[in-house]
Amino acid sequence: MNPRRSFAAGTGLFILLGFAALAYLATQTSSVANFSSGPTYDVVAQFDNVGSLKDRAPVKVAGVRVGSVKSIQLDNQSMEAKVTLAIDTRYNDIPDDSFAKIMTSGLLGDQFVALSPGGSPDVLKNGSRIINTQSAMQLEDLIGKFLVGGSSPAKASSAGAAGGKSGG
Amino acid sequence: MSADMKTRAPRGGMLVDGLAQVGDCGLFLLNMLGAIPRSLRHLREISRQIWFVGAMSLVIIMISGLFVGMVLALQLYYTLSIFGGTAALGTVVALSLYRELGPVITALLFAGRAGTAMTAEIGLMRATDQLAAMEMMAVDPIAFVATPRFLAGVIAMPLLANVFSLLGLLGAHLVGVTWLGVDNGTFWSNMTSNVDVWKDIVNGTWKALAFGVVVSLIAVFQGYTAPPTSEGVAYATTRTVVFASIVVLALDFVMTAFLM
Amino acid sequence: MPIEAVADALVEVRDLTTLLSGKAVFDGLSLDIPRGKVTAVMGPSGTGKTTLLKHITGQMRPDRGTLRVDGQNVPTLGREALYALRERIGYLFQNSALLTDYDVFENVAFPLRQHARLPEVLLRNIVLTKLQAVGLRGAARLMPSELSGGMARRVALARAIVFDPMLILYDEPFVGLDPIALNQVLKLIRTLNRTLGITSILVAHEFAAVRQVADLVHLIANGRCVASGTPEQLARGESDWTRQFFGGEADGPVPFQYPAGDYATALGFTGAAA
Repeated sequence: MNPRRSFAAGTGLFILLGFAALAYLATQTSSVANFSSGPTYDVVAQFDNVGSLKDRAPVKVAGVRVGSVKSIQLDNQSMEAKVTLAIDTRYNDIPDDSFAKIMTSGLLGDQFVALSPGGSPDVLKNGSRIINTQSAMQLEDLIGKFLVGGSSPAKASSAGAAGGKSGG
Repeated sequence: MSADMKTRAPRGGMLVDGLAQVGDCGLFLLNMLGAIPRSLRHLREISRQIWFVGAMSLVIIMISGLFVGMVLALQLYYTLSIFGGTAALGTVVALSLYRELGPVITALLFAGRAGTAMTAEIGLMRATDQLAAMEMMAVDPIAFVATPRFLAGVIAMPLLANVFSLLGLLGAHLVGVTWLGVDNGTFWSNMTSNVDVWKDIVNGTWKALAFGVVVSLIAVFQGYTAPPTSEGVAYATTRTVVFASIVVLALDFVMTAFLM
Repeated sequence: MPIEAVADALVEVRDLTTLLSGKAVFDGLSLDIPRGKVTAVMGPSGTGKTTLLKHITGQMRPDRGTLRVDGQNVPTLGREALYALRERIGYLFQNSALLTDYDVFENVAFPLRQHARLPEVLLRNIVLTKLQAVGLRGAARLMPSELSGGMARRVALARAIVFDPMLILYDEPFVGLDPIALNQVLKLIRTLNRTLGITSILVAHEFAAVRQVADLVHLIANGRCVASGTPEQLARGESDWTRQFFGGEADGPVPFQYPAGDYATALGFTGAAA
């Protein structure tokens, strides 16, 4: 019967649409979207302080997403945070002296790892270690620096040391 | 004189009546659940009802979703810009939609659009002896009329809520990105790094499912027990909207407190 | 009054007692419905004629007494047995009770679709045969809302006979019909009974119509069967009941006044006068 067929077809279409909406929300608007589908390689970077950096936070080069944070662990020897970054294999010529920085998107935004490319001819490979890192900017440190910055150079330098670990 | 005037002795207060109704409603739910195996023989009827309660509600759900998303973006943009946090617009809109507004507003609209239709339809079927006729044709009206509508509502609600959220997001994107100039990349990346599938989307879908259960139950129950008069059906339809709205909002609070 | 046992009764009612909100609708009702005949059940409004039909189909259970349909005691039947019995009974509702969601064809096909897995061709043939029998084959694709009252009743009749039942119950089949539609329904009742031998129970008020089809009439009043016989016998009956009911007198065993307190008291004349 015709009318009955069209009911069934319409119902099927509706259910399909509903599930498509769910699938879209779940895969495109949530953190699932941050799982890169392609193959990745792992790079390790150590930070004094990762602030509120979380698993699956984006890794960006020049603002473009190239990978995500795979894991954050405490390194027992150095008592530093050991962050493993999973970088898309498409981006396979990032210089190995690149600078890893934990940044915040906007004032209230989430934290992410920004890589500033260096000038080395060698590139990051699976298992490489990023030497140059800068920890998360702590709001408290920032305010402290701001308030006492000019009058007390000792304090300011200690805040700077806490904030940066460049050159290593 | 008073004996002549006396109509009906009140049996207990409103509290007792209310409790009795809740009890009847619970028993009715058990009846419907018990009839599910028999209802599954009427798959065609279930599918027809999904069409009526679900697909026919799509337009109102989509339009409402779009506008709610748009107004949400406007309001939140204004609030966030006070703190310089407009980058979080996508996140805040998405979380509000998935966790609260999607399920709740969809449930309220669903009660008004599909719930009332269910109540009125079943009430009229009772009033015109259609339910009795089914009994006489050895077809159980619970299995053929009540349960398929109930199941259809339970299936359709989460799907509608997701469509609502999706359209809301679209509306928010339209206002936030296209009109107010929030950066497109920021809008999405901030959202994708803060929205969790399980905590936000799946839990919101659970909520929508629970609302589907209570709204459909109330609508079918009110229709099934409506006095078989035009007045009775009219009152039952009103009660469906009132009870369903209150129960949805109360349940929303309870579920938010325990689930999230 | 004592009932003469009918040799071949399809429905046997014995000492049926039913209380509805404290009031006895039936108070020891006993009657027989003979197989293969048209039996009319008549009586003043509110004597539970429709309730009797509901007892026969098991939609309501009596408080006491037995009611056998084809040998089965209906009040004791479980759900499965009851549904099996109902498949063999056709019921014509006063307001037709067609399913408003379906067209005429699907309404008639409904019982078949629910209970029999038939090839579509066979189903179609059965439905069209039944519609032809009630003269509405051409209306197969109309919706119930497009039918007149008489047509709706004929569709409902086609639906009631789609399973070739052993028994048809007509609940007020003549109410609200114009003379033409009424004669059509009468003709159908007669045809179904004479040609297919379907036992029929007719609940109605219109004695003029009833006497054209009924083989037997039971008159119910005050919860009992107060008179039984052929329509001619009852029309000539000498009891108070038959005289009032078939003679159409306003007052009699059924009082004109609903029971009430003293009239003078209600108007407030007592105090001063006494």
